[in-house]
Amino acid sequence: MKANGVSGSAPAAWLAIAGLAVVVAVPFAAVVLQGIFPNLGQGSFAGPFSSFIATLNDSALIGMAGNTILLGACVVLVSALVAVPLGVFRALYKVPLAPLFDVLLLVPFMIPPYIATLGWIMTLQPRGYLQQILGFNLAPFLFSLAGMTVVMAFNTFPVVYFAVSRTVEAVGARYADVGRVFGATPARAFWRITLPLSAPGLAASLMLVFAAAIEEYGTPAALGRRAGFQVLVTGIDLRITDWPIDLPGASIMSLLLVALSLITFLGQRWILARRSYQTVNGKPQAKDKRPLGSMRVPVVIAFAVVSFLATGVPLLSILATALSRTISGGLAIDNISLANFIAVFSNSAGAFGALATSFSLGIGTALITGAIGVMAAYTVVKTRISGRVAIDVMTILPNALPGIVVAVGLILAWNMPFLPATPYNTAFILLLAYCCILLPQPMRYATAAFQQIGDNLEAAARVFGASSFTAFRRILLPLVFPSLASAMLLVFALASRELVASVVVAPVGMQTIATFIWRQFEQGSIGLGMAMAFIAIIITTLLPLLLLALLRRSGLVAE
Amino acid sequence: MTDAAVSTAGLELHYGATPVLKGIDVALGKGKTLALLGPSGCGKTTLLRLVAGLLSPSKGSVSIAGHPVADAATGLFAPPEKRNLGMVFQDYALWPHMTVGGNVSFPLEMRGIGRAERELRTKRALERVGLAALADRRPSDLSGGQQQRVAIARAIVAEPQLILFDEPLSNLDRELRENMVGELAELIATLGLTAIYVTHDHSEALTLADEVAVMRGGLIEQLATPDVLIDQPATPDVADFLRLGGVAELEHRDGLWFFRGSDVALLRHRGQPGDIAQVLIPTNAITLGDIAPGRLAATVLRSQFRGDGHLASISIVGPANVELQVLSRTKLRPGEGVGLSIDPARIRSFGKTTFSSTEETFEHA
Amino acid sequence: MLKSLKSIALGAFSATLLAGVAHADITVYTAGPQSLIDKMSEGFTKETGIKVNVFQATTGKVMARIEAEASNPAVDVLISASWDTATDFEKRGWLVKYASPNAAKVPDFLKSDYAVAQGISALGIAWNTKSGTPKPSEWADLAKPEYKDMVNIPDPAQSGSSFELTAALAAQDNFKLFKDLKADGAIIAGANAEALNPVLQGAKAAVFGAVDYITLAAKKKGESIDMVFPASGTVIAPRPAMILNWSKHQDEAKKFVDYMLSDAGQKMVADQMLMPARTDIPADRPLIGDLKLLKYDTADVYGKRKDTLKQVSDIFGGK
Repeated sequence: MKANGVSGSAPAAWLAIAGLAVVVAVPFAAVVLQGIFPNLGQGSFAGPFSSFIATLNDSALIGMAGNTILLGACVVLVSALVAVPLGVFRALYKVPLAPLFDVLLLVPFMIPPYIATLGWIMTLQPRGYLQQILGFNLAPFLFSLAGMTVVMAFNTFPVVYFAVSRTVEAVGARYADVGRVFGATPARAFWRITLPLSAPGLAASLMLVFAAAIEEYGTPAALGRRAGFQVLVTGIDLRITDWPIDLPGASIMSLLLVALSLITFLGQRWILARRSYQTVNGKPQAKDKRPLGSMRVPVVIAFAVVSFLATGVPLLSILATALSRTISGGLAIDNISLANFIAVFSNSAGAFGALATSFSLGIGTALITGAIGVMAAYTVVKTRISGRVAIDVMTILPNALPGIVVAVGLILAWNMPFLPATPYNTAFILLLAYCCILLPQPMRYATAAFQQIGDNLEAAARVFGASSFTAFRRILLPLVFPSLASAMLLVFALASRELVASVVVAPVGMQTIATFIWRQFEQGSIGLGMAMAFIAIIITTLLPLLLLALLRRSGLVAE
Repeated sequence: MTDAAVSTAGLELHYGATPVLKGIDVALGKGKTLALLGPSGCGKTTLLRLVAGLLSPSKGSVSIAGHPVADAATGLFAPPEKRNLGMVFQDYALWPHMTVGGNVSFPLEMRGIGRAERELRTKRALERVGLAALADRRPSDLSGGQQQRVAIARAIVAEPQLILFDEPLSNLDRELRENMVGELAELIATLGLTAIYVTHDHSEALTLADEVAVMRGGLIEQLATPDVLIDQPATPDVADFLRLGGVAELEHRDGLWFFRGSDVALLRHRGQPGDIAQVLIPTNAITLGDIAPGRLAATVLRSQFRGDGHLASISIVGPANVELQVLSRTKLRPGEGVGLSIDPARIRSFGKTTFSSTEETFEHA
Repeated sequence: MLKSLKSIALGAFSATLLAGVAHADITVYTAGPQSLIDKMSEGFTKETGIKVNVFQATTGKVMARIEAEASNPAVDVLISASWDTATDFEKRGWLVKYASPNAAKVPDFLKSDYAVAQGISALGIAWNTKSGTPKPSEWADLAKPEYKDMVNIPDPAQSGSSFELTAALAAQDNFKLFKDLKADGAIIAGANAEALNPVLQGAKAAVFGAVDYITLAAKKKGESIDMVFPASGTVIAPRPAMILNWSKHQDEAKKFVDYMLSDAGQKMVADQMLMPARTDIPADRPLIGDLKLLKYDTADVYGKRKDTLKQVSDIFGGK
């Protein structure tokens, strides 16, 4: 019955393959080839594999790989410790102010990790904001593996929180209640029923956190160096930015990182495929959430503390820094000044250009990744054509490609002398980089959405006279649109703040929000950088919310 | 009241300002089955969840086996696991990560029963529903009917003092449903179970239950045995929901009861001029014939085959909006005219006015 | 509604893309401050009509870009923050010989046949005046107990000038000063700005080997910070500008170098609190003549770069 898809859906498949080839396969292939042929940059294929031995023999490499895994594991552990209890309470109980906490816990997604880290440094270092307010500092803690772990975990745990609260809500309340009817105490019902049923979703979200943690650059770079803690990403960065530059070595280390991420993602998919339980049957029982009773106060305090640490501390620190006339002036009334914000609004150092560039690129990236994602997801889920495995692989691959690897790959690929025309040195190269890095988001959302749509819906459209394209456009697309729209909003937010790839491939004369901020930091204008960061965070948080509200009002997007 | 297996008193539930249950009083003896019957949204599942302890009441109380388990006045609330229940859910609610055997033995495990006995009783329960061979399978490998049998085995395995059925058969197709009703009835009888059975299907309710509570809008319209219910429905809604026949409004003038707002008389009976009465004209009160003097003329609206004949909806010529049901041996076509004789002795009235069957006979005009 | 939104978005988007490919006459990669190159290209365009496309980043990232582009290079003029780049590129034969007429007033040690300094930065001690520590005057002061745990050192692996200072000072006493600093709790803290920021907030009292112009600019802004140039000597980092031999716009590139060395261009350099390359341009800061320079052989120092960095990283505990 699925055979009918073969002829009808071929165009979607070919479009998806073409898009993926340009966006993913080209830079990835360039990195692989660079790893094998060290002189590729000069257009030479001499000395294949000669860099492998040198790089792999580097004793630091094992340390870096070990540190990478260690850091990833620690972040996963802390994220789980913070997110799982909160997620479970959110799912099963009437938590007061729950929608507010949901929004507050969403904000960390919008705070670029490198900014959040800087906020933490400004807060916790000696004579930082904490010491100015409370008289003590936590510098020894911050500049250590523990500090790095906590800062990164506070940035990534919302992934786990939302995954847990959703799965537990769908799975837990329903099935655990049944367990209680059959005599299980709440604790036993949780351990025997809710937890095992939610475990696949939890494990999958933890793997996402792991993958994000091993790819993270800003935090290990800012905190890890002082702790003498080098990870693969900072190692790659060093090889790319330290003279003499070692692109082949960086490529090989990138491939190692890619392998780590790939294993993680394959593991995640394996868990989800083998052990996920169809729970669509269960009616949502939102009204049945239990009151917290005597746990009310402690739970609200826990939510408030976590929200404050995840959202309040970085945001307040960013705002405090942006509002300071001078950094050495500290938190003092006479040191408050809007000069930094005025500088941004008076377009100092090209602030407007940076905002416009980033937001246009964010929109472009959202549209392109949305289009490729929806076609690729359709091909993978709804057809059986033979190329779909390749499509699937190409859409997971970017998960495993750190931004800096993508950037290097793009330069290598698009700056070949024989190319008649090249996006290199135009905004298109940034667009390609963002698309590659962020493609997995719409793909993941669209895949999940397509999986929930019965085959008969499309079949019915065909029977009633729709061509395969019309059926796709009129039936399937509207059905996946809500998921796709949220994914595209996420892409927009992430693309408009991307740092690592932007710094390396930004065309001459073009600034993005992130490169603007980074440059201000590099040149000592922390306040201006923070003012820009604050404005960008506000816009990337409010704009999607506004759009969602508009779409909801127009009935295009359900809850 | 204390000897009742389960009872509720003044039970109310509000979601915010919206009342879902508006005061429910029921009592069910040990070994009896109570059916909660009503259209969706009437509050029957809510009532069941209150008994199960999955919800707690806004007002009133619930007692099981003479012990109060929930009382809004005192704040007493025994959680579900303390109520010694079995329950069968509409969507089966089998735990997908456990085997069939694991699902069924779970209640025994929770009651701290040893492994050997657990295995024995699990096997016995599965045998009772005819699925002993599937103990090691996963629920997802089973058909809907098999899954529901597993759910039933899980509900009975620990021999709970009360079993709750939440529309257990509504996800099954008709034939399977009819078989399962029979099986369930047999099971309930053999095991002497005390059960509350929620359904929107009147035939399931009337088949299985010792007592049926017909619910509407958060209230019980009538609580009675199936026989009483069929014979003396308390309100037109109950009669309508049980599909006992057609409901008509009559008015008294000139010593006769006319269909309201028409010149068609139905009965000769005592009454004050201007009296209004609502009556049920049961299907079996009507005899069908050709159009002839002394018979009421009617037009066929539609007809559907039922196991024992064609059930036709007809409208009486004359009065507006009077729709009756009549059973015909032969197929009737929409638009066809027919003549009716109505046995006045079988007409039931709601409200004050009563029609005694021994009183006067009446020739239709 | 959605449609109009889309068209607005697309419009804005294509405008950006077009901006990216807008025709530009020369391309300058610079490791200097963004605001300096912005002003300089604006002035240059006004004077000559030649447009300038700019890529600004740290020296390391500029190098990465040039290396990655090696097969199809785009840069016409490169302004590095380290004279070593000029030596290296000259050796590779990548540079064009050019003697700007405006370079006459540039001292000989700040120019070669292939490169000429745009300006010069020096290293010194950046000290937070509100830190509660005594004002340091010498490198060795920072190893005293008063500065325990209060000193940041920019990573010599990430900054050319920082490396030269490390190498020169280490050669004097075989790393003893650095061992003392380590014993006193000093840490290696990233690149220049990264090392300076904690000092601004007061987390640290001083940067050992801070880049002067960043510190002086912060001071000018009102930060409670001061710059100390030790009397025992320091290092300077001339910032060489060079024209690449693959440039297809060599004449325009030469005009840019001329403009950079013009009165207007050098004034812009001075405004950034850098030392201008030309000796006849006044600046509101200590000039080369006011500084004592450490003596060392650049070629020798860079020859032992790996070794030196390893020693440093051994002393300060891995990186």
